[in-house]
Amino acid sequence: METVIKQSGKTQVFKDKANKVMGISLEDAKLTKSYLSVAFLAILLGGLLGLLQGLNRAGMLELPAWLNYYQVLTAHGLLLVVVLSAFFTIGYFYAGLSHTLGGLLPKVRKMAWIGFWMKIFGFVLAVIPILMNEASVMYTFYPPMAASPIFYIGLVFIVLGVWMCAFGAFINVASWRKRNPGKHIPILSFFATAVFVLLFFGSIPVAIEVFTIIPWAFGWVETINVMVARTLFWAFGHTLVNIWYLTAVSAWYVIVPKIIGGRRWNDLLTRIVVIALVIMNITGGFHHQIIDPGISEPVKYMHVFMSLAIGFPSLMTAYAMFAVFERTARKKGGRGLVGWYKKLPWGDVRFLAPFIAMAAFIPAGAGGIVQSTNQLNQVVHNTMWVVGHFHLTLGMSVVMTFFGISYWLIPYVSKRVLTPQINKLGIIQTIIWTIGMIIMSGAMHWVGLLGSPRRTSYSTYFDNATALSWDPYLFFLAIGGTLLMIGVLMQVYAVFNLMFFAPKGNTEFPVAEVEEDEAPTPRWTERWGLWIVCMIVLVGMAYVIPLVDFIVNAPPGSPPYKTW
Amino acid sequence: MMKSSVSGFLLLLALMLPPVANLLESIMITHMHMQMPLLVISGLFMANFFQNRFPDFFSNWNENGVPGILLFSIIMMYWSLPRTMDEALTLTSVEAFKFISLPFLAGVPLGDSWPKLSSFWKHALIIFFTILFLALGWLYIWSPVQLCNNYLVIEQITLGWGFISTAFAMVVYLIYSYFMDFSKYE
Ligand code: HEM
Ligand SMILES: [Cu+2]
Repeated sequence: METVIKQSGKTQVFKDKANKVMGISLEDAKLTKSYLSVAFLAILLGGLLGLLQGLNRAGMLELPAWLNYYQVLTAHGLLLVVVLSAFFTIGYFYAGLSHTLGGLLPKVRKMAWIGFWMKIFGFVLAVIPILMNEASVMYTFYPPMAASPIFYIGLVFIVLGVWMCAFGAFINVASWRKRNPGKHIPILSFFATAVFVLLFFGSIPVAIEVFTIIPWAFGWVETINVMVARTLFWAFGHTLVNIWYLTAVSAWYVIVPKIIGGRRWNDLLTRIVVIALVIMNITGGFHHQIIDPGISEPVKYMHVFMSLAIGFPSLMTAYAMFAVFERTARKKGGRGLVGWYKKLPWGDVRFLAPFIAMAAFIPAGAGGIVQSTNQLNQVVHNTMWVVGHFHLTLGMSVVMTFFGISYWLIPYVSKRVLTPQINKLGIIQTIIWTIGMIIMSGAMHWVGLLGSPRRTSYSTYFDNATALSWDPYLFFLAIGGTLLMIGVLMQVYAVFNLMFFAPKGNTEFPVAEVEEDEAPTPRWTERWGLWIVCMIVLVGMAYVIPLVDFIVNAPPGSPPYKTW
Repeated sequence: MMKSSVSGFLLLLALMLPPVANLLESIMITHMHMQMPLLVISGLFMANFFQNRFPDFFSNWNENGVPGILLFSIIMMYWSLPRTMDEALTLTSVEAFKFISLPFLAGVPLGDSWPKLSSFWKHALIIFFTILFLALGWLYIWSPVQLCNNYLVIEQITLGWGFISTAFAMVVYLIYSYFMDFSKYE
């Protein structure tokens, strides 16, 4: 150990201790509370819009002319994909940084607030044209569909706001490392670093895309290269998907073991999973473009490989989780080949919700492998199957983990406690959500196989027999959606109850420890610069060939279209 | 330790399989930026086999790592020329030389030298390759003629951008290690 601790070091040690004993500082708590409030308001509104869509698809509801299906769909996508996930991820990881690094630096807190308001401002800018029916371009905003320029300017502010938060996190982690020479970044902050690295690097391509779209949407340039725009979008879009996933995974590795009273899985292997996900992520984007023309077969083949590479850390994760469950249950006296599962705390929503989320990832991942396969993708591309897939991955694996987190994170930041009543409400909510999502996403998968297209408001196509055969499934879709809306209402109630009305008290931030006999983690895991360089090299490998082809052999560009 | 040598050797064998070699050589950029680095990596893995086998040789001839790294650089530069890639595809002897020189004359010396090099030499090497890659990128992108008989101009341009993006990654690394003082964190 170092012998001399400087003055600032001493106050820091004191602050660290205070943080552990008294919980989060009020200012840090307020930040996270604000982020989480926005996240859950987004799910409330987004869920409502989802229900409208579900009812419309079942032919039970005709949307009025002033709020048509495509406006609703654009808003649903934006609210849930961008607002909910970004605000939840940032709120959660900032609380994690504050807890594990001894509080946020004042400068960093300020950056996160600036980021907060930039995102809100950007979001408001993006919503105005949607409401005016000037931006029904879906959350993917692919050219040649063109929205009002205001929409894209809003997106720029959202990206800038996210960057603020990313740099805030980097500054806080770097400062902690200076103050704690020779120590490893605490595991939750390690995950946070990974997520913010991905958020920053993943949003560079979309920023480039938006900056080429804006002059085109204003009419200053006449045409745009559609393939380049789509490719830049998915370099971002796919990374975003994995950011949510990594956020959920962080809770699986770090939080859930503590909640079940165990210890977490091997620290080194956990960090390797994180590093692997960071390095290999961005290049997966091409599996969204398997049907796109203009990408040669060998390149598509190479990208299937790169997408499936992500399967490796995912399988490690699945193994790790079950290893932790079994070890913990056996320590508590669980017996038998599978009988040990009885010792897990099934009645605790903080465990049940993330557990079902993990279990859902098994079929969800299998569906993902199906879609990444060239031939099978031809069958399901742009059908409701895909919508079923991401409601399973995002709406279940990720969002249910977020729900599970909310039952301790919100009491932790509001200095209240989770009451048995709210726990029970949470259990019921979890069950309703599970049933609802199985029904809805099951119906979506199936009707997709039968050919029902995604992103299409209800139509019988002049009473075409095939289209009519979709109706029963679409009816199930609406039933599942209705259950989900009930789930949304219960969840939002629980969140605001825990934030403002639950009894005062101390809630711990559950971070699991490693096993006692574990070998120390080697230093090289901390070489973030190196991982980023590896990531850039891999991105180069994946993107240079197709991008050069798109640009050098470009067809005439496309003028903007308003297709709605 | 022996395990890594075996896996290096298996990697080399895998790369020599005709379908693998044909696939990687059919695209210019995967030929130069995937097959060749993988050959070097296979040699890297096998380095400790030779170090154990011939300890005196390495300590006498490569005491401070500089001779080894010079050999590595010469081999790498040789294989960055358009001409040599073309020849590898047309002349079996050159192809054989590729599969021997890259693992054993580039990978093995790199594995032996890198830990021995001072940080000055390490950075000098990265800077050297950054400049080399920028120059090669420039050559391949803006060359007015087709440089290889076996590859189209579009592939040549693609390879050029591959060099530029690799150089970019090395610049990022250099900036990172310039600003990060690792001793502060140890
Ligand atoms: C009340 C719960 C929900 C219901 C009833 C619902 C329903 C739907 C429906 C019917 C569609 C439209 C399918 C189409 O025409 O293509 C849709 C699309 C979508 N949903 Fe949901 N959803 C719900 C919750 C969620 C959640 C929690 C998320 C993510 C966190 C989510 C993300 C999406 C996305 C990204 C789209 C695609 C938008 C697009 O194609 O542009 N949904 N949802
Ligand atoms: Cu993806």
